Amino acid sequence: MTLSSVLIVAAALIGIGLYGALSQQSFVMLMMGLELMLNGALLAVIGFWSFALGGAPEGQLLAIIIMAVMAVDMAVGFALVTAVYRKRQADTTESLGTLKN
Amino acid sequence: MTQMLAILILLLFLTAGIAAAAMLDRAIPALVAGRPMKSSLSAPFAVAAAMAIAPKSDTEHPDRVGWVLAPILYFTLAAVGLSVVPLSPRLVAAPSEVGIVLWGACEALTVVAVFLHGWSANAPLPLMGAYRYVAIGLPAMLLSMFVLIGAALPAQSLGLVEIVESQRDVWNVVRQPAGLVLFLMLGLSVSLRGPFDYADPYDLAGGTQAEVSGAARLSWRLARLAMLVSVSAMTATVFLGGYLGPVLPGFVWLALKSALVLVALVAAGNWFARMPPARMMSFLWLALLPLSFLMLAAVGVELLLWG
Amino acid sequence: MGLIDIAFILLSAVAVISGWRVFVTDSMVRASFLLLLSFVAVALIILLMAAPYIGVATIFMMAVEMMVMALFMVMFMMNPAGLNPMMMVHQNRFAIGAGVVAFAGLSLAALATDFVDNRVDPAKRVVHDLGIELLGPSMLTFETAGVTLLATMVGAVVLSARSGRFGASDEGSLPPGLEPGGEPAGRKPEESGGHHHHHHMHG
Repeated sequence: MTLSSVLIVAAALIGIGLYGALSQQSFVMLMMGLELMLNGALLAVIGFWSFALGGAPEGQLLAIIIMAVMAVDMAVGFALVTAVYRKRQADTTESLGTLKN
Repeated sequence: MTQMLAILILLLFLTAGIAAAAMLDRAIPALVAGRPMKSSLSAPFAVAAAMAIAPKSDTEHPDRVGWVLAPILYFTLAAVGLSVVPLSPRLVAAPSEVGIVLWGACEALTVVAVFLHGWSANAPLPLMGAYRYVAIGLPAMLLSMFVLIGAALPAQSLGLVEIVESQRDVWNVVRQPAGLVLFLMLGLSVSLRGPFDYADPYDLAGGTQAEVSGAARLSWRLARLAMLVSVSAMTATVFLGGYLGPVLPGFVWLALKSALVLVALVAAGNWFARMPPARMMSFLWLALLPLSFLMLAAVGVELLLWG
Repeated sequence: MGLIDIAFILLSAVAVISGWRVFVTDSMVRASFLLLLSFVAVALIILLMAAPYIGVATIFMMAVEMMVMALFMVMFMMNPAGLNPMMMVHQNRFAIGAGVVAFAGLSLAALATDFVDNRVDPAKRVVHDLGIELLGPSMLTFETAGVTLLATMVGAVVLSARSGRFGASDEGSLPPGLEPGGEPAGRKPEESGGHHHHHHMHG
């Protein structure tokens, strides 16, 4: 286990997540893509922290911030989906041209 | 070496605990009703043996992997949760400096395991049980985290050995009695029991296990009992001083205290009635969660002033 | 190759394969559980890299998050248990290309760069350090994250709550028709409903 190998795994997760976020029609599946990208970012941050930073506590802080971003992403995402679904009965990106109203 | 010894003792503890819990489940209602309790010693084994050899039924297009995996996952979570419980300052099966966070992760994954069990059957009643349980189990699990943080504050550590050591002068149950009550409610919730049994209740014909029979049903029941034993040991460790006690060795004290909690949980599960799910959800979010916040704040103030 | 390396390779395989399966599986609930599996594998890799708190907290948080995700899946999907087959993608080729380019670019960058070798000392009290950091030098950052989460909670409730201070949040809005330009779908408002009540108040 080296820093390069950890970063390659993180890159793979980010690549798959990007594919998901771009290709999925359902809002919830789209959010899964975003989460997977953040998953890769988390792995990369901890990789740097563990192999190149000598365990400086700020690295762990950054990981905690990423986890907070994940939580915000999920909560706001689901709230928007619920609101949109209630107004338009829509849960896919195609059925929605605008967020107005 | 000590680790192997700890694992061995915990395995024994888990097996004995499961058997005791199964007996208590029959003995306590009999005691309340004034019926003879003699049959409750052997009946659980007879029922288990009958279940093990019973033929198994099937639903249409179930999620096979999930259906097989759910009881295994549930049992594993109970075992992993139990493994961080210290038997003495040095006798720990899985020493971890983040013991209570690990237990919290086991609680969170328990909700997943129960949902998986109900969902993968692909049948109405199990799915309803699973769906209800997520709604009730998640807030119950969340508030248990505040309770655990309250217990970790005096120890200034997330490790369970430190939490036990911080109770040398006074047990946490004296410092935070509300915490113990809330944690016992969590115990009922993670082991799907009595007032918190929204996953496998009678009104859903057994909920998530409605379509399960034979050995699979037996393994699910065993996993539920294992989680009950595990949560009893955790309660004893976090609130009742764990292995602390005079004369007798530490693990005997732990076993005695866990047994006490186990009896209390089985009795509470049989005694209290269940609320409708919607009311229980309001109760959890509007009454118990704020109570756990207040309790946590009170612990903080107490430590600031007298800590 | 040590035990840690073997564990790392296995866990990486689980993380990547289950992450990929998320987007090709039939059922939405399976998709969220596969994503959870990917997260758990990454969390275990993080544990291998000597960050116990972050690893275990990731498992804890993701278990809750993915459970909620599965719940929403079942709620929004057309088939009750989310077990029926489905495939809903658009611009698939472009998305695959973007994913591959992102992976290739990032891995090349990772391989081409010469990193400093400064490993974390196994004897370091990383959890203790993190706690001191969170409530010491980085208190402001940590508290900002906390306030952001609070704002998120309030925002989420405002967006998703059905009943607000001024009546139901979807009052006056019409669902789209079942066919283009057709009758609005959903429940018809009852004649003797809230409006009737309103008249009484005035009269």
